[in-house]
Parts: sequence; structure tokens; C-alpha cells
Amino acid sequence: MGEFGPTSLASYLAVAVMLFAAGMLAITTRRNAIGVLIGLELVFNAAALQFAAYGRFRALAPDAQGQTAAVFVVVVAAAEAAVALGLLFGVYRTSKDIDLEQTRELRS
Amino acid sequence: MIEMLLFWTCGLCACVGALGAATVRNLFHAALLLGLSLVGVAGLYLFLGAHWLACVQVVVYVGGILVLILFATLFSADVMGLVQRTPWPLKVAGSLGALLSAVVAVRLLQIVLANAQQLDRVRGKPGVPDVIDGSGTSIGDLLTTSWYVPFLAAGFLLTVALVAAVATVQRFRRPARQPQQPAEALRG
Repeated sequence: MGEFGPTSLASYLAVAVMLFAAGMLAITTRRNAIGVLIGLELVFNAAALQFAAYGRFRALAPDAQGQTAAVFVVVVAAAEAAVALGLLFGVYRTSKDIDLEQTRELRS
Repeated sequence: MIEMLLFWTCGLCACVGALGAATVRNLFHAALLLGLSLVGVAGLYLFLGAHWLACVQVVVYVGGILVLILFATLFSADVMGLVQRTPWPLKVAGSLGALLSAVVAVRLLQIVLANAQQLDRVRGKPGVPDVIDGSGTSIGDLLTTSWYVPFLAAGFLLTVALVAAVATVQRFRRPARQPQQPAEALRG
């Protein structure tokens, strides 16, 4: 458990923490809506990776519960991407750009 | 040895792709680097024994969501990132926020790992199970038994998201051009 490698939970969690931090960085610093969307996907990916890793390294019940939870994370990410694209379309129609600093309203 | 090399390649792809997607200025490059990160995570799923989840990751994330994001870059008037520069106070605050969230996440993971090791000691079992069935059959069994209600809720969520996306786009469609009245046509 202590060493880093394919059979160590800590290595998967380290990658997940990196993904989460990169996602937070993108969400907080990007001015463009697509950049924020990319950051959100990274955070979702980190959550799914953690679910799968914890499911693999559960001590007593090596079943696919963690992977099933990760599938639901993917489903939520897909739904979020679809709605976000619709909203981006609306923002583009009203302000001809998707700069979040300039967007003030969604009314057409 | 080869397994270790592949594992670290996947991990590095995931991390470097994520950091690049968060920091590069060009949005198109950021989306491509997100794809690199997603493929790296799919490789990590293979090492976790989650073969079906790796396929879902490639099909849904890389084949679906990434294509949507690449399509959405067409909406941006500044894909190259030449105009919309992030001001430096926001950069510093965002970096500090990301660092703080990473520190908090690491601390939480340390607590969870310590508790897991304690549990292993109490139960006297090794922490790493040898075999895990990550096939579609086992996940399908779980989805139709203990995860039945969340499965239905996910289907409902996807339907609502689809309808909401279509309704949102319909609301912002350009109004159809009115046919010219005969009198106006004579005047014009």
C-alpha cells in the first residue's frame, strides 16, 4: 500500500488529486465558458477515478460497486455537457461570444 | 516491468493532459489535452480491472463529450486566447485555490487510507483483493438489483437533460422570416 504502482491505492488517488486540482484551477481562472466546462469534466473524472480505485481496493468485497458508481458519474457528466452546450448556444445568440466576463443575461 | 511502464505512462498522460488543459491559452489545444487526460484515465481503469468502464470512458467521454466541447469551441470568438487574458490576481487566486483544494484532498485521503489500514489490521485481511470482475455482466447485475433506483433516476436525468438542451436551443433560435405582404411588396 505504501509504494506507488499499479497495485497501490495511493498512486490512483494521487492522480485523482492532480486531476481535481487541475480542474479547480481551470474553473477558477478561465474566462471562457468552454474552459470552465473542461475544468468541470476534469473534476468529474477525478471523482470517477476515485470511485473505481476505492471499489478495487476494498478489503472484504471485491465487486464492481465502485465501477457502477463511476458509471453514474459519467452519466451525470454527459447530461451536464449536453445542457451546458445548450446554454452556451444561448449565450452565443445573445452576446455573440462566450466570454463569461461579458455575459450578463440570457434573454434573447 | 512493461506493466509498470504502461501504468506510469497512463498516469503521466492523465496528469500532464489535465494540467495542460487547465493552463494552455488556446482553447482547441486545451480540448485536445483534455482528450489526452481522458485516455490516460481510461488506461488507469484497465489497471484497476474495470475493462467495461474503460470502454465507457473512451466512448462517452472521448467520443461524445470531447466532440461536443470541440464543437463548442466554434462559438468562441477568441479560440487562440489572444484577447481574453486572465488577469494576474485571478491567476494567483486560482492557483492558490487549486493548491488549497489539493492539500485538503490529500489530507482527507490520508485519513481514509489510515482508517482502511486500521480496518485491515482489525480484520486481519490483506487490503488488495486478487480478482475483481469488471465485466459488463457484473455491472449489469448490479444495475438491475441493488442499483436499480439510481439506474432509473439516471435514465430520467438523461431524458430531462436531452429535453432541456433541445428546449434551450429552440428558445434561442432566430425567428423565421415573415413572408412579405403583397402591399409591402408593391411598395418595396
